[in-house]
Amino acid sequence: VEFKDYYQTLGVAREAAADEIRKAFRKLARKYHPDVSKEPDAEARMKEVNEAYAVLSDPEKRAAYDQLGRNYRPGEEFRPPPDWDAGFEFSHHDFQGADFSDFFAELFGRMGARGHGQDHYAKVLLDAEDAFLGAARQIALRVPTVDAGGRVTLETRTLNVKIPAGVRAGQLIRLAGQGAAGAGKPGDLLLEVHFKPHARYRVDGRDLHVDLPVAPWEAALGAVLRVNVPGGALNVRIPAGAQSGRVLRVRGKGIPAAPPGDLLLTLRVILPSADTPKARELYEQMARDLAFDPRATP
Amino acid sequence: MSEEELLTLEEVVLVCAVTPEWLRDRVEEGLVPAAPEWRFSAVAVRRVRRMHALERDFDAAPELAALMADLLEELDALRARLG
Repeated sequence: VEFKDYYQTLGVAREAAADEIRKAFRKLARKYHPDVSKEPDAEARMKEVNEAYAVLSDPEKRAAYDQLGRNYRPGEEFRPPPDWDAGFEFSHHDFQGADFSDFFAELFGRMGARGHGQDHYAKVLLDAEDAFLGAARQIALRVPTVDAGGRVTLETRTLNVKIPAGVRAGQLIRLAGQGAAGAGKPGDLLLEVHFKPHARYRVDGRDLHVDLPVAPWEAALGAVLRVNVPGGALNVRIPAGAQSGRVLRVRGKGIPAAPPGDLLLTLRVILPSADTPKARELYEQMARDLAFDPRATP
Repeated sequence: MSEEELLTLEEVVLVCAVTPEWLRDRVEEGLVPAAPEWRFSAVAVRRVRRMHALERDFDAAPELAALMADLLEELDALRARLG
C-alpha cells in the first residue's frame, strides 16, 4: 500500500499541537462537508480528512504513526514491519464501520476476528422504472477481511443484488447473509434505496410524480389522454377547464408496493408557437373574440 | 418486501458506529425519531450518521446537531423536488 502523509492531508506541521490539528480539521470538515460542499471531490476528500484526523487526534495512534512514518514519503510503497505496533494499545471501536483506506487498515487494522459478521450498509441508486419492474444491480463493497496473520485488509467484493419491484425511496432492503463475514455467521447487507433524478419522473415514497404536457385545447375542453409511465401506458381523463400546474391523482398507479402508491400528474399547458400564418390567425382571432385578461383580479 | 425494513437499536449502533448509550440518549431527548419498540427507519439511520459526524467533527451539542440535521433533511427534500 502507499504511505499516506496525514500531516499533509490536514495541512499542519509534524510538531503541530493537538489544538492546531483540531482547528485545521474543522476548517476542512466544513469545506468538504458532503451535504453542503460545492467541491467536486468533496466526499473523497472528506474521507481522507477524517482518516487523517482519526489518527492525529488520538495520542496513541499519532505516536505510533510518527514513529513509523519517519522514513516514508507520501505515495511511497509501504509495508509495516512485523509487530511494529507492539507496546501501543488501540481501542478499535471508534472507527468501526468507517470507510478508511488500505493504508489505515494495514496500520491500525488489527481488530482480530469478531465473534460474528457485521451488518453492512450501502446505498443503491435506482431508476424510477426499476421500482416498477424490479432490477438487478452490481454493488461493490469494501469489506474488512482478516488474513491468516490476524491482520485486517479491505477487500472489494462485488455482489449481484436483485431489487424487487415495489421498492420505495428511503426503504431499506435486507439481504440476509450478504454482509461482512466474521468468525461466525456472516452479517446482513442493508441497502438504502435512492432514486436517480429523472427528466420526467420523480419518486416520493410510494408516489410517482410525472409532468404531463397538454395542449391548450386539451386543458380547456377536457380530454382522455394515453400516458406512458414506467408501469405501462394508461388512459387519463383531463377535466375541462384544467389549468397548468394542476395535479391529477390516479390512485393505486404509483409504485406497486403493498399498498401501492398513487400516480400524480402535473399538467403543463404547452402553447403552440405562432410561427405559421394559420397559427397567427387563430391567436389573433382569440385575441379579438375572447374577453380574456389573465391579470384580472377575481 | 411489502413492509418497510426497520432496524433494531443494536443494528443502528453497528452500521452507524455509535454507542448504544449515545443513541438511547438522543432518542429519549426526542432528537432521533424511533418507531415503537425502538425500531429505526432508513431516514433515522441517515439522521444518526449526520448527527454523529457533526457532534464528533465540531464538538457540536446534540441539540445543535439535530437542528443541522433538520435543515439538511429539508434541503434533501427541496433538492429532490428540483429533480
